[in-house]
Amino acid sequence: MRSIVSIASTTVGEAIRRKVLLVILLIGLLFMIIAPGLGVLSARSELTVLKSMMLGIIQLTSAVIAIVLTVYMIPNEIERRTIYTILSKPVQRWQFLVGKYLGAVLALGLMMALMTVVLLAVFLYMQQDIHQAIDIAKAPALYFVQMSLLAGVAIFFSTFVSPLVNFFLAGGIYLLGSLFAPFFKTMEDNGHSPVMVKKVASFVNVIIPNFAMFNTQNPIINPNQTIGSESGYYIQAAIYGAIYIGILLVAGILIFDRREV
Amino acid sequence: MAAAIETKKLTKSYKSRSLGKINVVDNLDLTVEEGEIFGFLGPNGAGKTTTIKMLLGIIYPTAGEGYVLGREIGDMEVHKVISYLPERPYYYEHMTGLELLKFYGSLFGISDRDKFQMLLEKVNLHRDMSKTISQYSKGMQQRIGLAQSLLNDPKLLFLDEPTGGLDPIAHREIRDLILGFREEGRTVFISSHELSEVELICDRVAIINKGLIEKQGKLTDLLKGGRIEITVEGVSEAFLNDMKMHDGIVRAVPEGWLVDVPEDADPNSVIDAIRGEKGRVISIVPRKKRLEDLFVEAVSVKPFTQKAPAPAGDAK
Repeated sequence: MRSIVSIASTTVGEAIRRKVLLVILLIGLLFMIIAPGLGVLSARSELTVLKSMMLGIIQLTSAVIAIVLTVYMIPNEIERRTIYTILSKPVQRWQFLVGKYLGAVLALGLMMALMTVVLLAVFLYMQQDIHQAIDIAKAPALYFVQMSLLAGVAIFFSTFVSPLVNFFLAGGIYLLGSLFAPFFKTMEDNGHSPVMVKKVASFVNVIIPNFAMFNTQNPIINPNQTIGSESGYYIQAAIYGAIYIGILLVAGILIFDRREV
Repeated sequence: MAAAIETKKLTKSYKSRSLGKINVVDNLDLTVEEGEIFGFLGPNGAGKTTTIKMLLGIIYPTAGEGYVLGREIGDMEVHKVISYLPERPYYYEHMTGLELLKFYGSLFGISDRDKFQMLLEKVNLHRDMSKTISQYSKGMQQRIGLAQSLLNDPKLLFLDEPTGGLDPIAHREIRDLILGFREEGRTVFISSHELSEVELICDRVAIINKGLIEKQGKLTDLLKGGRIEITVEGVSEAFLNDMKMHDGIVRAVPEGWLVDVPEDADPNSVIDAIRGEKGRVISIVPRKKRLEDLFVEAVSVKPFTQKAPAPAGDAK
């Protein structure tokens, strides 16, 4: 456990100093700050557009950070030979991989927390409504689970593919899981779908994580849409994410354990 | 004396699309005794780093056996008492020297600040412990690398090209540290092609080429076979023929004749014979066999079929 904590904290230290991540974060924060000014350009309610834009920026920025942060994590350690000085100590490969993953998630969490603080500050400045501000801040909490899952996908692939391939693979799976998961679900549930289509849809639904599950903008942006039990839904989504992350880490460990580094 | 490292027919193969199966390390039989400094030599791509990685359990052998401090390679218990300094290592640049030792120490469960301080003093970095690694020179990075490799008070150190790319001052500092390890009773396994360095510090060496051990043994045994060059004039043809018959090499030089005899030949009797001929000795130059000669001899291009694995512990 001590080794995992040490590797994780070192990973956080490295991640928060990576210029490329800081630039992405800075761009995201900049867009969040200017977002209220862009809201007036929309025909819809200014408040709805503001919420939608701010959450969209957090989600997009976090997704890019999650992928960029994790795709290079293991390959960089191998290329720079830091992995050798660590694995020659009494550190198991699974401890190394879990430590790196937890470090990535912690760094991601810190960056997302900063964006959430800016979101709250901008929202309070614009609306002066603390209840609405707290309500909107729930979305980044669920995004954090979503991004942890995305980091899990990227770290799984980083055990056997190059960073560039991983970038497109993880990014592609995120897009598929975010945009098409409901579509595949509908195909699977549709009684009129051919059996083969149902099977394919069911397979895709199982293999590709359902990232759409963590997108709660609609009820937050449109208060008329409600979730039956909000806390129940949040817990269910968090458990789903945790199980998926666990599976990805175990699969990654099994591959990494036999990999020649 | 027990063996710190022992390998029996240790082999690592890779498959290449163009070349098929390649044995990067081929039936390696190696024995390193406890308390010695062992030089593992070979040209680039000979299989040195692959061997070290197998011994550390970082990569897996294709065939054969290997034991480190009496335990099978890959045994995590061994990792508590060994250490490794890779070639041209990179350390987390945002860390200070002290933070780096704290990080590596934490992997062993060591958090003793006095120990970190003592190690920094040992490698002469105590005045620079608050500087970040990015501010360290190459030599300083190598010294902090040695400090991290001493955190667990290792019985066996693997050093991969420890003086590669360093200036002469840094060379000397690292060499002195390594010699100090032997005095402390540690076993040191050095992979290098800095032959002069190895000649100065190693007790035994093995030369590996294309995955095969070409020479292995005590440096003093391997470097036997030096020559003595005697330049003479006024000697007869019969004398020169006699020299040739006794493993001498004779060739004409502007001053007369150069008679090259093995170092174990008695130079006094050769000189007496020259005087008996009424000849004159112009110069006597002993030419010791150098590790470089041995290395070139061992790694000179040979077809693969000529090679056979060397018996463990024997000087060829």
